[in-house]
Amino acid sequence: MTETYTPEERRLEWLYGLLGLYNGFVVLMMAGFMSLTQEKIINTMSAHAFLTTLPIVPLPALRGFLAAVGAYALLLLLGKLYRHGGITSGQRHLVFAAEIGVCMLLMRSLNLAYDGVVLLAVADLMHRYHEENQSWLLLGAMLGLYFMANYNLAIFQRHVAPFDVYAAYYRPEVQSVLLAIKNGLISLNIVLFVLYLVLLVQNKHHEKERIASLNKQLEEANVRLRAYAIEAERNAETRERNRLAREIHDTLGHTLTGIVAGLDACLVLVDAAPGTVKKQMEKIRETAQHGIVDVRRSVKKLRPDDLEKMPLQQAIKKVIAEFAASSGVEIHLVELGWPDKLREDEEEVIYRIVQEGITNARRHGKATKVTVTCGLEPGRFYIIIADNGAGCVEIQQGFGLRHMEERLALLHGRLRYWSDNGFTLEATIPMGKNAIENNREA
Amino acid sequence: MKRGFALYLAFLVFMTCFLGWYLTRPKVLTVGLFAGSNWNVPEGDSYALLEEGIKRFEAEHPGVRVKYVSGIRKDDYSEWLAERLLKGEEPDIFVVPSQDFDLYASIGALLPLDRVMNKDADFDPSVYYPKALEDGRCKGISYALPVGSVTTLMFVNKTLLAKEGIPIPDNTWTWQDFLRICKAVTKDTNGDGRLDQFGVYDYTWRKAALTNDARIFSEDGKSADFSSQNMEEVMRFMAELHAVSQGQEVTAKDFDMGKVAFRPFTFAEYRTYKPYPWRIKKYSSFEWDCIKLPAGPSGSNSSIMQTMLVGISARSGEQRLAWELLKTLCYDPVIQEMVLTKSQALPVRRDVVESDRAQELLMETTPGSEKMDLKTVSEVMVDCMTEPKFPRYKEAMNLADNRLYHVLQENSSLSNALSQVQKEINMYLQR
Repeated sequence: MTETYTPEERRLEWLYGLLGLYNGFVVLMMAGFMSLTQEKIINTMSAHAFLTTLPIVPLPALRGFLAAVGAYALLLLLGKLYRHGGITSGQRHLVFAAEIGVCMLLMRSLNLAYDGVVLLAVADLMHRYHEENQSWLLLGAMLGLYFMANYNLAIFQRHVAPFDVYAAYYRPEVQSVLLAIKNGLISLNIVLFVLYLVLLVQNKHHEKERIASLNKQLEEANVRLRAYAIEAERNAETRERNRLAREIHDTLGHTLTGIVAGLDACLVLVDAAPGTVKKQMEKIRETAQHGIVDVRRSVKKLRPDDLEKMPLQQAIKKVIAEFAASSGVEIHLVELGWPDKLREDEEEVIYRIVQEGITNARRHGKATKVTVTCGLEPGRFYIIIADNGAGCVEIQQGFGLRHMEERLALLHGRLRYWSDNGFTLEATIPMGKNAIENNREA
Repeated sequence: MKRGFALYLAFLVFMTCFLGWYLTRPKVLTVGLFAGSNWNVPEGDSYALLEEGIKRFEAEHPGVRVKYVSGIRKDDYSEWLAERLLKGEEPDIFVVPSQDFDLYASIGALLPLDRVMNKDADFDPSVYYPKALEDGRCKGISYALPVGSVTTLMFVNKTLLAKEGIPIPDNTWTWQDFLRICKAVTKDTNGDGRLDQFGVYDYTWRKAALTNDARIFSEDGKSADFSSQNMEEVMRFMAELHAVSQGQEVTAKDFDMGKVAFRPFTFAEYRTYKPYPWRIKKYSSFEWDCIKLPAGPSGSNSSIMQTMLVGISARSGEQRLAWELLKTLCYDPVIQEMVLTKSQALPVRRDVVESDRAQELLMETTPGSEKMDLKTVSEVMVDCMTEPKFPRYKEAMNLADNRLYHVLQENSSLSNALSQVQKEINMYLQR
């Protein structure tokens, strides 16, 4: 038990301990008193007279005493389990039911002379009472306990040897003292219980306040975080726009400027020196060639970083692992086969589909488990992304899906998706001969 | 792994041993009963019948031993049993004192027998006299079986009646016959001016009430009815009977001297005093015999039956065996027959009582009882009454004895006096 207690909780635990100890003391006293009286009755030859005043044959003195003490020990143990044991809610209900059973047993073995132990069970119940929707349960349990106590008194009254009969063995003045002691013990128990309840309610109240204040802080932090996120996005956008502008300026601008200047020179020279123009034209072509290379390089920079650095398989594993780690979604990758060779654009499409697919599963489907399957069939490569999320009744094609479709269309691939037990997405890309034929047709 | 297996094996061996011991351990049944007769007559060996029963039972059930504590006097038995119960050490089967029967049945000390009775194919409750079996019931549930019983019969001084020339009444005689004979025999024989020959000794209103079908107590023992027509008849008859002796007290000594014609006796008393040596010691001067009690105008020649009940403890650990033992003691025809020879009581099995062998045994052990036909006794057993067994019965009856005695002495208005008695008894019962 590595729970850490606040001082308030510690005080509550201490009081509960006191309540348990006190009840143990009372149980011991009551059981002891009755057992000793029973022994005394036997020794003074008044057994027959005693029996005629009873509705049952009581347990033998020692056995009655042990039954009471044993039942109480069991009750304490169950109480401990109920309060601290690492058990599930269902098990806890079972434990509580057992606690009530033992409570009844104990009360019976004490001949209903002392019903304070019921309060101990109530204290346990109150201790575990957290959630709002349990209030009806609590009410039911309390009513049940109340009726149990009454029922005990009403039904079992005919089946136990009442305390008064034991007390009646003594002289009247002793009897009144005994009764006073008994009532005093019961009252003190109620006082302790009420004190415990007050402390418990206070404790719960403070805890609620603390949680409310924590909630507030969390919300503020959330708002700030959202603002940061928007700002960061905007920053990235601006940065990207600037970069694109710079790229266009540096590459296309530069090249086009060179081409325009070269063409101007050609226009001047075209009549005078066609040979020079030809040379010049070659230079312009070279510049344009350079420009194309530069543009390609720029476009390349927009490719995912991972794809730059590592092969597709690893990149996909990485993006899955990272997403799983950051979002908490359990993602399985089932690799049934990878194509030998892929073009860069194909790799990128595959990468993006996986990325978009698992993101959608988390974002729209609220899925907790996603299976990504990729494999080869003759003439095509396929990826299936299936999740256990909410899915949707009518699929509205958002930007993500349309984008995927567009990307796939460029490769003559196909995208299918449907919703049953979650959402499933299937993308196929033609490979090998098919792909070549397709490309040729295109 | 190896150690785990060894531990498991050891556990298995231990369990086997324990189970073996548990199943074959010697089983001990205990029986609770008192020394002396249940019927307040001297008895030679009060454990003889039980010993025989135990012998038979142990022979039929090898490995089972039956024990009993001897030497507990009848007066101490009730307290002894209560102590055992409080200590949780009560015998498996025990004789239930009749005044404690209702108490022990209602506090759950006795095992209800109906279920075992019905389940046991060997057991046929119809062989018992219904009243005897009924005596072991409380609120319709059987808690005990009878082992023996005695009925109350009227003792007749044959010598005295013969001297007076009066024939012995037959078994259908009435109060009127009774009163007539009493009047006829009551006289002063030696001329000293004092009566010295009497009609009856120890005939109480209880017996009169019984033979006049006056039901006094309600079933639960919470109320009494003394003001019924039958009860008035009883009191009027008692007053007449009382008047016969002209206020002179009849004593046991008069009876022993052979100066009294009638005296109600229990069967046990009859059997104890009839044979040698009791007959010599006590009533050597006259011949005597027994007939049924006289019938009242509203009643019959009924009699009161007392039974000795044996029950099983509800907490007995060996209830099946205890039932078998109870059956041996209370049901086995051989043991039932021995009731005649080993005790002063009558068997409670009708077939045993009515058998020729029983009559022979009775003749053997009780010589000189020509008149005592067991068929008559059997008839008495069939239509007899049993005493209520509610806890305060004895006290209430003693109270009634005392009050009614005064009513007889004072000769005041009968119905007023009776309703006064009823009020008092009711107050006592409902306290």
